[in-house]
Amino acid sequence: MSRDNLLTAKDLIPEFIESLAHVGAEVIKLNGKDSVLAYISENYPECITFENKEIWEEYSFSCSKEKLEKLGTIQLEGKFGVAENGAIWLDDNCFPNRLLPFIAQKVIILLDSGKIVKDMGDAYDCVNDCGYGVFISGPSKTADIEQSLVFGAHGPKSLLVTLF
Amino acid sequence: MDILRIGLFIPCYIDQFYPQVGIATFELLQKLGIEVVYPEKQTCCGQPLANSGAEKEAIPVYQNFVRNFCEFDYIVTPSGSCAYHVKEHYNILEQTEQVKRVRANIYELCEFITDILKIDDLKIDFPYKVGIHQSCHGLRGLKLGSSSELITTRYSKVHRLLEKANGIEIITLDREDECCGFGGTFSIFEPHVSVKMGKARISDHERNGAEIITATDMSCLMHLEGIIKRQNKNIKVVHIAEILNNNRL
Amino acid sequence: MKGHSYKAGIFLKDESRADWHDKTLWMVRQKRDKAARSVADWEDLRERASSIKEQVLSNLDFYLSEFEQRAVENGVKVHRASNAQEFNEIVYKIITDNNAKLVVKSKSMLTEECGLNPYLEQRGLEVVDTDLGERIIQFRKEPPSHIVLPAIHLKKEEIGELFHEKLNTPKGMSDPVLLTSAARTHLREKFLSAGVAITGVNFAVAETGSVVVCTNEGNADMGVHAAPVQIHCMGIEKLVPQTRDLAVFTRLLARNATGQPITAYTSHYRKPRPGGQMHIVIVDNGRSDRLKSEVHRSSLKCIRCGACMNTCPVYRRSGGHSYGYLIPGPIGSILAPSYNIKKHTDLPFASSLCMSCSNVCPVKIEIHDQLYKWRQELSEKGAFSPVKGLVLKIAGFILSKSALYDFSGKVARVALKGLPRRMVYSKINVWGWERELPAVPQESFKKWYSKNSGKNNL
Repeated sequence: MSRDNLLTAKDLIPEFIESLAHVGAEVIKLNGKDSVLAYISENYPECITFENKEIWEEYSFSCSKEKLEKLGTIQLEGKFGVAENGAIWLDDNCFPNRLLPFIAQKVIILLDSGKIVKDMGDAYDCVNDCGYGVFISGPSKTADIEQSLVFGAHGPKSLLVTLF
Repeated sequence: MDILRIGLFIPCYIDQFYPQVGIATFELLQKLGIEVVYPEKQTCCGQPLANSGAEKEAIPVYQNFVRNFCEFDYIVTPSGSCAYHVKEHYNILEQTEQVKRVRANIYELCEFITDILKIDDLKIDFPYKVGIHQSCHGLRGLKLGSSSELITTRYSKVHRLLEKANGIEIITLDREDECCGFGGTFSIFEPHVSVKMGKARISDHERNGAEIITATDMSCLMHLEGIIKRQNKNIKVVHIAEILNNNRL
Repeated sequence: MKGHSYKAGIFLKDESRADWHDKTLWMVRQKRDKAARSVADWEDLRERASSIKEQVLSNLDFYLSEFEQRAVENGVKVHRASNAQEFNEIVYKIITDNNAKLVVKSKSMLTEECGLNPYLEQRGLEVVDTDLGERIIQFRKEPPSHIVLPAIHLKKEEIGELFHEKLNTPKGMSDPVLLTSAARTHLREKFLSAGVAITGVNFAVAETGSVVVCTNEGNADMGVHAAPVQIHCMGIEKLVPQTRDLAVFTRLLARNATGQPITAYTSHYRKPRPGGQMHIVIVDNGRSDRLKSEVHRSSLKCIRCGACMNTCPVYRRSGGHSYGYLIPGPIGSILAPSYNIKKHTDLPFASSLCMSCSNVCPVKIEIHDQLYKWRQELSEKGAFSPVKGLVLKIAGFILSKSALYDFSGKVARVALKGLPRRMVYSKINVWGWERELPAVPQESFKKWYSKNSGKNNL
């Protein structure tokens, strides 16, 4: 299966949303990308997006760590999602700097709800060749202290997935 | 119709310390219309030696076993671990026709009844609350039941034989197939962990209302009973053969 | 001999703590069961994972060579280390070549195996383990007690005390959220100032030359993407042939380890970022020897999920530190003797052979069978004491001769019946420390049978 030909069974969306909740991500589903962008700018006005070429350049590989560390909420777009575990694939094409999905305090991932596959078998047919790629499933977490689940171990404390 | 003729193997510790289990097994099989032969030169299946690392020293013991049992179509024993040991670990013997025959045709008592005799209702009375301890070698080795780790359809040959008993209530455990901690020489090499595991099993049965703990292996029950007696508890252990033979307690 | 049995005895002295440890790990096992049950073809996945690993082990040179070639084409520097010493030297050289003083490291049992941390620290470098559990035990200067949950043996109050001492958190504070937050602040500072980031490798893909690292905390990525130099360390057995094979393993690993459908981050490192350096160090350290052993090669399939520890009733009741080897539990007990057979003679016996471990192993290593086979090997290699060896020889002789067996049995029963209790239950009777011996019957089964044979119904 090529990545241009993703399965979109309607019943994968509910499973995906359920998986996202299970792994500690917040989910919002709206109609159309514009609605999502409007939602984000209304509710997270401080959110930084990298769609603009200049901002992309500003945060590219030569960006200072101090600047990166100050990041609060950022917005990225995922390539596709996996229903069985709420994972979303992002790669070098999705961000100017590989540290971005980890250093920000909160990450918002936009995802086209037509780009959801059933499980990792289908997912690995869709990952593309690039220098770095990652399946992100929920916010950063740990249970190393007496098995108590805590979000925001080192990476983002929360993850919001905006489906459109 | 030919009467089925089987060789009865009585594990060494049953022979020495729990003859009533052997007697119950013998009587039960006879009741089921089987000609039961007990070769008197039998000794032990060799497991205690092999589990201690002395497989090579056990070969003469294995050979004695094969000599005594190679003539039978079926060998039946009231012990999951002994049956498993013969099936699995007699692979180090030269695989003559006799050895292969013995390995292929040894059965633990319950699986012999359900799989070969194809009986699951022995028309027994047992008006007690019973906890089934699923001895590990029988469960995971001989697949007498589905172990909790495997994602598969659930079944239990022991449960099947007991559930139709008149008046019985089979309790549900918190941990349905955790090891009792006997493990043969483990009970001596690692006494603290062994006893701790045994105590945990007993508490599980008690917590869930069992009056009697039963199992396919007297070795497990011997270990649990040892702890029960030391702690002066009321719960009893009864080998499955005695229940299936409709023995009065 | 202060082996597993002795240490387990000490662990069990604090009974309520031992119960807490057992319960905590049993819960992890239950989470695993729940997650596994949600995957309809779970057992099929295990079979496939096992076959993929078998295929790799049977063609290891081919896959290693393909992997190295692809990685080099990607702009990655690939190094080979035949043993721990070489590994440490290679890593040290990369660090000093780049004038780095601070190293951050995400979880890698391989680096523990090779003793990397002490090696670097003795040469004046600061090494910070960034996995929260690993950082905790690093502060405490003790080894991990579990390969996935390194600090599972610690209570939050103890961690609170530790962080008060090391991170200036308020005295008495033991809330996991607040403690984690303190660690977050402390470790972020390390991530952003480190000169080199080291990670382990969960899977290395031969087809693409990429390495895959699975974390929940994101600490591998925080380190790697912030530091100018990244080093990924892997044993030769970490390979999988193709990218699509990752599907099988990523579906099994987290579910089996912690009951999660997948870790928060499954990171695929293929090429260095512009301006960055990426190194992969491939380590042997006895693995190819183990590969040559027909009996023991299957232990190389291990994907380090830790499920065997969670399910093991002995591990749960004795704790990881009782094993005396960096990897505890069932898998540790079959690996340890191959590294040091004299030191670890106790480990293959630290098991009741219940087989639960083999049933949870995602790559179907027959751990129980390996434990059994190690016992035979220890016996053959003369690892047993002469007394034990002699006792076993005599037992073998007696048990093979029915007359001798009958006689010995009778003697034992008569003795038990006749001797006074304090003699029977003397210190040398290990069984009798906490258990009663069985009651002595009137006669053996054999005796009963010979008296009653020839009669039909009794």
